[in-house]
Amino acid sequence: MDGVLHFPDGSTLDTGAFLLLGMLLFVIGAAGVMIRRNPLVILICIELMLNAVNLTLITFARQLQNLEGQLFALMVMTVAAAEAVVGLAVLVDIFRVREVEDIDDLSELKG
Amino acid sequence: MQDTAILALLVLLFPATGAVLHAFFGWRWPRALTMLLGPGVVWLSFICVVILFAGQIVDSRPTDSTYWTWITSGSFTTPFNLLVDNLSVFMCLVITGVGGLIVTYSVGYMEHENNASYARFFCYMDLFVFSMLLLVLAGNFVFLIVGWAMVGLSSYLLIGFWYQRPSAVVAARKAFVMNVIGDIGMILAAFLIWVTYHSVVFRDVFGRTGRSDSGGLEIICFLLLIGAVAKSAQLPLHTWLPDAMEGPTPVSALIHAATMVTAGVYLVGRMHPLFDVATYAHDAVALIGAVTALFAATIAFVQTDIKRVLAYSTMSQIGYMFLAVGLGAYSAGFFHLLSHAFFKALLFMAAGNVIHAMADEQDIRKFGGLWKDMRTTSLCFLVGALSLAGIIPFVGFWSKEVVLGDAFSRGDPFALAMWAIGFVTALGTGFYTGRMFYLAFWVPKSPERPVEHPHEAPPTMLIPIGILALLSTIGGFIQINAGFHNGWKLVDSFLQPAVGALGWEERSLEYIATAATVLLGAFTFFLAYRFYVQRRWDPAVLRSRYPWLQTLLERKYWFDEAYDAAFVRPMDWLGAALNRYVDRPIINGAVLGVGARTEETASDLSLTQSGYFRNYVLVFTVGVVILLAAVMIRGAIG
Repeated sequence: MDGVLHFPDGSTLDTGAFLLLGMLLFVIGAAGVMIRRNPLVILICIELMLNAVNLTLITFARQLQNLEGQLFALMVMTVAAAEAVVGLAVLVDIFRVREVEDIDDLSELKG
Repeated sequence: MQDTAILALLVLLFPATGAVLHAFFGWRWPRALTMLLGPGVVWLSFICVVILFAGQIVDSRPTDSTYWTWITSGSFTTPFNLLVDNLSVFMCLVITGVGGLIVTYSVGYMEHENNASYARFFCYMDLFVFSMLLLVLAGNFVFLIVGWAMVGLSSYLLIGFWYQRPSAVVAARKAFVMNVIGDIGMILAAFLIWVTYHSVVFRDVFGRTGRSDSGGLEIICFLLLIGAVAKSAQLPLHTWLPDAMEGPTPVSALIHAATMVTAGVYLVGRMHPLFDVATYAHDAVALIGAVTALFAATIAFVQTDIKRVLAYSTMSQIGYMFLAVGLGAYSAGFFHLLSHAFFKALLFMAAGNVIHAMADEQDIRKFGGLWKDMRTTSLCFLVGALSLAGIIPFVGFWSKEVVLGDAFSRGDPFALAMWAIGFVTALGTGFYTGRMFYLAFWVPKSPERPVEHPHEAPPTMLIPIGILALLSTIGGFIQINAGFHNGWKLVDSFLQPAVGALGWEERSLEYIATAATVLLGAFTFFLAYRFYVQRRWDPAVLRSRYPWLQTLLERKYWFDEAYDAAFVRPMDWLGAALNRYVDRPIINGAVLGVGARTEETASDLSLTQSGYFRNYVLVFTVGVVILLAAVMIRGAIG
């Protein structure tokens, strides 16, 4: 529990670097979801956030010598794949049916 | 199960089945089936009643059959039991016998109705017969009240049968409200009986009456009396009956003359073990009867609508029955009930023929000369009129005479006072009956008569009338009474096991009373002839000399106006005031206010629903950040 990852060849790396990378990726993804208007880019940003989470999970799994984290990352990948499939299918259908330039055109549920 | 039990159930089931079938299929099955089934079920019931009657002649013991337990709630239980004794069989004979004739008569009377209405009429009639039979066969207070309320309902439905007429609807509603006042009395009486005797079954209650104080019984009997008074249109709850004449004429004959309105008499007779103990309530029955008899007879002097004259005479005759059962002369009261069922149903149906022939005109001043044009109907009406006037040898004479004779021979001052009122009423009855008969049938044709050449009624209408005319003529010989000590008293001896024997000896002084009744009844009937046919004395002169009397009687002693002022208008005011000061500002305000506030809040909150995906994500993210921050801060502090 010293915040350091040990590798078989004896080299070490600081956990903080991985976590920082994960956090950056997540924030970039979240910002992209909020700021970008192209639906495709939004989907990609969601994938980015999911992968940031995966990175964090694996980092901690390695640090804590616990395989559950890795298993969980695999699970997230599966979900991400499914989500990408569904999301893309929905988008393709929407594009087919109506003229959509960006995500703000889909605001029928405005109260 | 015993034969009696099955038969009693069949008596009820036939009309009930008829009513249900007419209700569901009557509007689409052929008219001929309604003609057959409507009266048919009543006659089937009549056959069962005759078998029961034969059984009661052989063995007069009552049969109380319990079929199943209807209600069990804690210590309260109500069985479904029917009581077959001489009294209930007697009533059933009247209901199904006279009722059958009247329903048969309706086949012709209602022929102008379309198919659906025709079936609806017979549905209601069968429903009424069923309810009335349930009322008289009920072996406990709960079913008595069920029957009691159901006859009120069928009466309401039939008075308002021509619901397109506003006056019929108003009359129906009035009858219903008045009857409900009586129902409340009955229900309260049943509650008190349950509290006092812990049973609602007649057999148990009557077996336990000796053990209670008479004070509680007085209250119970007065409450029962309210029910009886409302149902039988006695003072002061009588105002619905004349208005009930808005219904079709067979309905007036069946419900408002022969059967339902006599339910009050039946009630007092059935409850005689209670009334015999509660002497004040018992005297009140006689007093109300006597006063109503006289009161209604005086109003009948000036009425011009033939059915209304008959309605007031019905009130008057039921007053006689109340007088009799109130004095304890039960079988006299029931004999008068039977004879009244004969001659009043006859009078109503004969009047129905006239109304039919006169294109629905009901004003006797606009008839005249019908004796020549409608001989059979006129003859039947005359038989009924003579019977109503109490002229020997028609049935009304024998029954009225036994009522007055029994009152006279009881001999105490109260009974003698009742006799005197009854005697005066009998004089009046002769006069107004004569007036009605002469004006409608005897005097020369009125220039205002709506139909020049009236047609006699078809056989379906004449045959039932003919049978009743025959019964009214010879029916009296089943009971040759008072004074004639060696006469036979079939009604008396049949009813004795159920209502007990007369509590006093009939005295030979009754000869005088009887002779006086006969002579004076006939005399006043003749007096009407002098007035209205010979015009020896002109009624108009009397009218102009005593205008206040004419107005008093024509306004029916201002009962309607008094009730209007005492109950209807205050209720209107109360309703209007509550509407204005409570309903609109408070109740309406609260309900509408809740709705309005909800709508405002919702429309304010809907501003947050921008529909933009990014907004939602932003809110979500900010929320997560705040939550995480909170968890972290707690971790840092804790």
